[in-house]
Formats: sequence, structure tokens, C-alpha cells
Amino acid sequence: MTRTVRIDHLARVEGHGGVTVELDGNDVRSVRFDIFEGARLLEGLVKGRTYQDVSSVLSRICAICSVAHAVTSLKATESAFGVEVSPQTRVLRDLLFLGESIESHALHLFLLALPDYLKYPSAIAMAADHREAVQLGLRLKKLGNAIQETVGGRAVHPVNAVPGGFGRAPDTEQLIELRRGLLQAVTDAETTIGIFAGLPSAEFRRTDTAFAALRAPSEYGYYDGDEIEFLTSGETAAYPCSRYREFTNERAVAHSHAKHSMHKGRPYMVGALARLSLNAGKLSGRATRAVHLLGLELPSCNPMDNNKAQAVELVSDVERTLGIVESLLDADIADETPVPVVPRAGTGTAVTEAPRGLLIHSYTYDEEGRIVTADVITPTALNAASVEAHLRAAALGAAPDGDEALSRAMEMIVRAYDPCISCSVHLIRRA
Amino acid sequence: MSKPRAGIFGLTGCAGDQLVILNCEDELLDLVSLLDMRDFLMAASDNDTACDLDIALVEGAVFSRRDKERLERIRQRSAMLVAIGSCAVWGGVSAAERNGGLAGLLDETYGTQGRDYDATEAYALHQVVKVDLKITGCPIEKHEFVAAVASLLNGDPPVYPQYPVCTECKMRESNCLLIEKSIPCCGPLTVAGCGARCPALRIPCIGCRGPAADANAESARQMLAAKGVPEHDIRQRLRTFAPTGGSA
Repeated sequence: MTRTVRIDHLARVEGHGGVTVELDGNDVRSVRFDIFEGARLLEGLVKGRTYQDVSSVLSRICAICSVAHAVTSLKATESAFGVEVSPQTRVLRDLLFLGESIESHALHLFLLALPDYLKYPSAIAMAADHREAVQLGLRLKKLGNAIQETVGGRAVHPVNAVPGGFGRAPDTEQLIELRRGLLQAVTDAETTIGIFAGLPSAEFRRTDTAFAALRAPSEYGYYDGDEIEFLTSGETAAYPCSRYREFTNERAVAHSHAKHSMHKGRPYMVGALARLSLNAGKLSGRATRAVHLLGLELPSCNPMDNNKAQAVELVSDVERTLGIVESLLDADIADETPVPVVPRAGTGTAVTEAPRGLLIHSYTYDEEGRIVTADVITPTALNAASVEAHLRAAALGAAPDGDEALSRAMEMIVRAYDPCISCSVHLIRRA
Repeated sequence: MSKPRAGIFGLTGCAGDQLVILNCEDELLDLVSLLDMRDFLMAASDNDTACDLDIALVEGAVFSRRDKERLERIRQRSAMLVAIGSCAVWGGVSAAERNGGLAGLLDETYGTQGRDYDATEAYALHQVVKVDLKITGCPIEKHEFVAAVASLLNGDPPVYPQYPVCTECKMRESNCLLIEKSIPCCGPLTVAGCGARCPALRIPCIGCRGPAADANAESARQMLAAKGVPEHDIRQRLRTFAPTGGSA
């Protein structure tokens, strides 16, 4: 007998999405990750706009990833015009990404995912019994926001990052204030590892997962670098980001405003678990110890391990941020103004790691510096096919346990991917 | 007094205003203890989607038939409906050029399949239902949100500035980017409340809060044109966040 299990409106994720599973007995006929966030068509809307406005318009694709969108946009524009920013600008942009990662991971782990493990409907309800854990999460989240406010001028939709650099660099007093919060955060991040190491394991039947992440030139970072690396069945392959269309050659699907991406015919996962699976060798000793404490075996094909991977990144991010802030204090931060930006006709493509994974912005400009075409590929869009592969595997495993267990498994997997559904509805412009 | 029943909703948008609410880390647990939070899909999974509400906070704009139906339903069940953020108040950034060119934009982004998607012209909330209070900003300012909740709990509407960003900029003693440096700055037209954050960072205002009550767009256009800013760029910049906000 056939039946359909439908989750109409996923809670505790950003944006509007659902899951539909069609079953025949315990056999899974089809699984769909539906996205019904309205189509905002921002890429079309920047056409003809001057380069000075592009970053601030396209940051509005998504609030939680607004730093990643704003700064990846600048990186693409500067690449198109051949602009080299100052070393201090690169460091400050790195810092912005770290702040966003801390904020986003703390929000996801403590307010959205932890209630799943402890079986509460929300962090608000969870706070009645686990107030300290919620307060710890809020403290880390606040620190991530403080970093973004200090460097970007505002926590949501940063204003200070502009083509060529920053309007004004943070001053010494602000950096000292940040350092104070970071020292507390080192302890909080370690406590986070303890909390997530002690949770009941959530295991879903695995698929042979492939991964993709930014190839970081040296440190475990999110901003620097221009190559995209894949890990498929133990083999790695790297491509310059300018060739991104070869693995984002998506097909539009009727049930979703997000399109599906493949690499060599297979879906792939992006985000914290993919970054760790590809870049574990670049982690510090402290973060490596967190990997062991969590019992995380890399590469991991259990999507639930994305939560643990985010916890590891919290440790790594706090440590790296503290290091950067101390080096800026040692070196006396300079009151720089942006380097001159002279527009020219051409194409620029940039890739970074947003909290949820690879983010690509690619623009073609005319000689006056107006957008001819803009293309934005978001992590949640890249993940859509992989989410469905994991949902299908988990549905096969959970189907014998009844529809309620099945629904719960579907929700937990989607939330583990930490989807940002507003982001995913922009997608690639047709060639 | 029983706690007011509240709901927080997102239509199409970036979820930035709900994120600002979640970013009130110091106030969040107190705020939710003063309200009876019944329906907040972004943060909870045990939502009562049918009960009557004393207050509904709605972010995002109407971009689809589904958005319109959701908004109408929220209006029916709520004694007070508050629009939060520039998308809800003005239509926002993605409404700017959408209206009039929707079919072309859909084709361009999704191919012919795009025609089947549920996508409509863009509407600010007040163009679809009655709105009782507007809190503008892209995103909203934390202090304006907290002040709104505090005022409403006391039975008063919050009071927000009507004057432009320039007033706050002068109070901060930032240098004028427009007059001193001829940088196109939307401060004279944009409603204050942000503390003139951007000019303090030597960044021009891009008007993300929408127009001040007495904004004189024509005068601003003439001034910018006199400074050599192309007409096309002026029009686009002035319309970016508030396409439904008057003649600009």
C-alpha cells in the first residue's frame, strides 16, 4: 500500500522548506526536499547596477550569511577589476568570516539543533531545564556578533566592508574589548565540546558521501583561496573557482526553487563536515583534540556529524580569532582607507566558505563597472541533492519504525545540514 | 495581567529581522518570559498555528500567492500586526526592479520552468492588509525592537524619530560625506534611528531604512546631479530599499 509522509513547513531552520516521502510499505519510492521560499531574483535585479552597490544589495540574499555574501561579492568584484587589497584588509576580512562562523554555529548548535537531541520543541523551552547551556550558547553567539560589529560595523548586513577595503578599521580599544570576550569564549568552546560529546548518538543509515570545500592555502580559514577541492571515495580533485560551472551544472527541478548540483554524476556535501573531512590536517592541536573528544571519524558519512564538526570549528574559530586580534594589537592596527578601485570590463569569480559551505559569486562587468551578469551559487543549493540522498537512505532505515519516527529522522537530518533556505533560491543563471 | 500572546513570522526575505530578535542575547530570555510566545517557526517546533494572537510581528514582503494567503491569515488571527524591517514596511531590496519585469527575471533565473513557479509582483505588507505599527530598517535596530516590545507591554505605541539620518550624523559630529567630499550619501532622505552608523565609518548612507517623513527626493536628485552622479545611479540608489516609498 502506498502512502505519503509530508513535513509541510520545517521548524527551526531559516526560510521555508519541507520534505515529502512517498512509501510503498517499507520501500521508499521517492524523497523530495521541497523549497518554497519565494523567488527573489536578486541576481537579475543587480543587472546594470554600479559595482559600488552590488555587495550591499547581494548581502540581502541572506542575513545569517550576510558577511559571506557581502565579502565574497567584494572579492569577485576586485578580481574582475584586478584590485589587490592590503594585507590588513585580508586579515580583517578573515576576522569577519570567523565572527560570522562563531555566531552562526552557536545559533545553530544551541538554539536549533540541541533541542533535537534533548527532545525539546525549542531552546526557549529547553532553557527551563538547561539554562546554563542556553546562556553559554547565547554568550558565544553574542561574541560572534561583537566581532562582526567591531569589524563590519553591524552584525547583520555589514556596512564597513567596501570595494578595496574597509571604511574605517577598528581601533585598539575595540580590539582589547574583543580580546576580553575571546578569553571567556576559549572556555565556552571547550565546554561546548563536552556538551556535544555527551549527547546520545544520532545515527542514520549512511550513503557514500562526497565532499567539497575551499582549498585553504595555509591555515584552516574561510576567506583566502581560489580553489575548490572534492573528496570522492577517498580521491581528491581540485579546480580553480573560475571553472565552477563544471560542477554546478544544475538541473531545475519542479518541486524546488533550488537546483541540484553534481560532481561527476554524484551529489556532494558542503559545510563544516566537508571542510573538516578535507582540511583536518590544518587544524590546531586544540581543535584536533576536540575531534577526538567527540569521537569524530573523518571523513564521516553520517550527516548528523555536521553538528559535531560545527562544534570543532567553534574551538578552532575562537582560537584563530584570538590569535588574529592579538597580532593586530601587537602590530598597531593602521587607519587605512580602501585602495583605489578602477572599474574595467571583465569577469571575476570568487569562492569562500560561508558557515554552511562553499559560496561562489561570479560577475561580468562592462567598462563603466556596471553588472552585465551576476551569478550566485549558495551552499544550501549545492547541498540540496546531497540532502535528498541522505534523506532517502535514512527513510529506508526509519520506515519500519512508523511515520512519526520517519518524520523526526527527516527533520533532524535537514536541520543537521543547517540549511539556509532563503539563500538557496537564487541559484545559477542559465547560460 | 495575562501575558500577551505573540507570534513572529517571516514572509519572503532574508530572515534578518528575526535574526536581530535572536541577536538580543542579553534580553532574549527576559523578553520571551514577558510574552506568551505561541508561534515562532524559525525558533520553535511546537507552534500553535491557529490561536488568536494579541500581537504578530511579520518580516519579509509578499512575493507569492502563498505569502499573501499567509499574511491574510496572520491578520485575521491578530489584534495587532507589526511590520518589521524594510521589506515588510517598504517592499525592500528585491522589490526594487521586480515590478514590471517579473516574467523576464523568472525566465532569466530559472528558464521556462520559472513560469510555473508561484511568484507575484512584490508588495509591502500595508499594500495587502492593515498594518498597525511599522519598525523599519534593513535590518531593524535591536534597541528599536526592544523599545517597541517594552512600550507595547505598557499599552503605548513606541515613538521613533521622524527626522533624517543627517540629524543623527550631526549629533555624532561625523564629517559630511555629501557636502565636504561630494560622495553620494542618502542621509538627507533616510529616516533616522540607526545612529548614522555608516557615515561614522566614512561610508555613505544607502537608504536602507527607507525615506524620512519630509524627504525631498527631487532636491536630493538635483544636488547629486550637480555633483556629477549619473541620473541612472541616483534613481537606482534612491529606490533600492524603498521602492514603494513615494516619488523617488
